[in-house]
Amino acid sequence: MDDDEHVRTLVDRARQGDDDAARELIRQLYPVVAKIVRGYRARRVAEEDLSQMIFVKVFQNLGQYSGKAPISHWVSRIAVNTCRNQLASEKARPELRHADLSDEQTAMLENLAASDETLAPDRSLAARDLVDKLLGMLKPVERLVIDMLYLQARSVAEVQKLTGWSAATVKIRAFRARQKLRKQIGGLL
Amino acid sequence: MKRSDRILDRLFRAAAGPTPTSEMPFGFDTRVLALARESSPNGSAIIARFAQRAAMIALAIIALATAGLYRTSISNNDLPTEYAMADTAIQNDLGE
Repeated sequence: MDDDEHVRTLVDRARQGDDDAARELIRQLYPVVAKIVRGYRARRVAEEDLSQMIFVKVFQNLGQYSGKAPISHWVSRIAVNTCRNQLASEKARPELRHADLSDEQTAMLENLAASDETLAPDRSLAARDLVDKLLGMLKPVERLVIDMLYLQARSVAEVQKLTGWSAATVKIRAFRARQKLRKQIGGLL
Repeated sequence: MKRSDRILDRLFRAAAGPTPTSEMPFGFDTRVLALARESSPNGSAIIARFAQRAAMIALAIIALATAGLYRTSISNNDLPTEYAMADTAIQNDLGE
């Protein structure tokens, strides 16, 4: 039995109320959902709570899943929409200032400005923290597009599929978001 | 601007490195299933939804019937006077 067939069987069993199948489905899909939720960097709601909301929606609507697309795509779409709705009310933070950065983050930024060397792998967590702060200046949709394109390395077509936006919208949002981020970095240097 | 762009790209590359493991929290699946069951429509909600649909269908039938009656009454008014006269004459004959 291949993976797709196995997942399809799990979906069918979960629809019929089989708890073991539903648990197995959650275990298999959790990394997909967690990745999307993490990308949104929600401030008001915990990552786990948001993941929980998404899975509850998935199970409430499992009857509507047609089986035409892989279940991970269908769940990803629900995850993206739930995150978007959840963050719709979140306003962008005001401008980032030097005082908002830790010593390590300031040093990293200066290092990036001074040389063209790639950052050492052990700095990736610090880099992620700095990116989180920078993305906090953006609107949720801009945060999403930057995360998907540059941090998750997804293609424009993939972002289109997940968000339902047109290619032009994806590109325009990414362009505007980068413009804001460039301005922020320029102000910090 | 190009300098900021380069910094941004390198920062993204560094941040895109290995992400923390997405391990499912303990008891997460149990909580999800319990919540999904709690918020799934119960018997009375299903009956309410059925009643709502039945009411909509009934309204549609009433509207169609009213339209049909109205049309019939209009077409009856359009009957030529000769028919009405003949009808009255026949009724009078039968009455006698």
